[in-house]
Amino acid sequence: MKWSQFFNTSIGKKLLVGATGLFLCSFVIVHLAGNFQLLYNDEGKAFNVYAAFMGHNSLIQFIAWGLKIVIVLHAFIALQLTFRNRAARPVKYAVNPGNQTSSWFSRQMAIMGSILLIFIIIHLTNFWAKFHYGEMPLHTYPGQEEPLKDLYLVSQETFKQGWLVVLYVIGMIGLSFHLIHGFKSACQTFGLNHKKYNGLLSFIGVWLFGIAIPVGFAIIPVVIYFK
Amino acid sequence: MNLTLKVWRQKNKNDQGRFETLQAKNISSEMSFLEMFDVVNEGLINEGKEPIAFDHDCREGICGMCSMHINGRAHGPWDGTTTCQLHMRAFKDGDTITVEPWRAGAFPVIKDLTVDRSAFDRIIEAGGYISVNTGNAQDANCIPVDKTKADLAFAAAACIGCGACVAACKNSSAMLFVSAKVSQLALLPQGHPEKQSRALNMVAQMDKEGFGSCTNTGACEAECPKEISLTNIARLNREFIGAGLSSEK
Repeated sequence: MKWSQFFNTSIGKKLLVGATGLFLCSFVIVHLAGNFQLLYNDEGKAFNVYAAFMGHNSLIQFIAWGLKIVIVLHAFIALQLTFRNRAARPVKYAVNPGNQTSSWFSRQMAIMGSILLIFIIIHLTNFWAKFHYGEMPLHTYPGQEEPLKDLYLVSQETFKQGWLVVLYVIGMIGLSFHLIHGFKSACQTFGLNHKKYNGLLSFIGVWLFGIAIPVGFAIIPVVIYFK
Repeated sequence: MNLTLKVWRQKNKNDQGRFETLQAKNISSEMSFLEMFDVVNEGLINEGKEPIAFDHDCREGICGMCSMHINGRAHGPWDGTTTCQLHMRAFKDGDTITVEPWRAGAFPVIKDLTVDRSAFDRIIEAGGYISVNTGNAQDANCIPVDKTKADLAFAAAACIGCGACVAACKNSSAMLFVSAKVSQLALLPQGHPEKQSRALNMVAQMDKEGFGSCTNTGACEAECPKEISLTNIARLNREFIGAGLSSEK
């Protein structure tokens, strides 16, 4: 079977969704670690230095563009599979089993993923687009010659708007619900299902990606709003 | 007990179909669900009406014919049973029971509750077998089989091809069925020579038949009358990846 045929099968497409999904899981860990610098009490110096490094390092920029392609690929193939799955049942059941046979999270992947995609577009508009292509305030810290783009100040101003804080929290609820099923599901697609490590995979999926990381992300705008 | 049935009636595969409300009277709680249908059908025949068409064969949970979606569950509310093993004591007097056929584009309705599951046969034809050369059979003890793997293969081989996995899956995916058939042979030495082409061809045929893809909800495992495990789907994925990477064709 040629690669083009392999990745055109339902399992091949799921492997692409799973691989891109796991890559995005690794990205959220790095992104959260960077974002926590917004909570430092240093007038944003650490965060702005970090943002300048991330914005100018060629390797990071290469990965950042790759990341955007990965997000588009993940969403595109997942939606393609979703539409195909819907078409596989032209006549629906009059009575559905609800939560009796499957978890609610596992049935909402497309909806939560769509909420997340809308959130990502809003998020990129709020910060990434502004940082690279918009007007940015500048800040020169003591001991530095060049002024830095003050992304810290932009984030402080952005999260003084209550509706945006609510929107970000909703986005993170979407992330949580998506990853509670998504991480373990991606592992299963790669054939990782064994009693030796299923407990560990469930723990990582639910507690790390489903709870700790989304809560970590959501805390930042809430703290800034009430500061 | 007396029950109200809302049963799907459809003259043929081109008919739109509709629900018909029927009364099932004087039903014993010890009857199986299919015996209850026999009683209702007798009544319909006596009234000169068309009886409800439904598939059944062994009535002991091994033929996989009795495809009925009962109150939103494949084969009804009990776990690990087919419809013929479901007894009326699962219901209360006065209950309303909704009975639908399997719903999947790959399983077209033939009549009422009877669906055409020949898509499964075509998947088996694509690779769910081992080729045996002519000549005398080898001494069985010449082929060592690990007991653990033999047990896993046996558990996978318990699949009766009833289609409950497809019926229960929100995507109408046939992955549990295909994975059981692939696993059963991949785990045993006899199945090894064709394991790569089997995985690739059966998955290709599954897609061709119009089944959806697996989103790992686990509904198939929950509804399977033979309790086939999701670990088989993981095994199918591993077999498929391995075959994709190293198959000569």
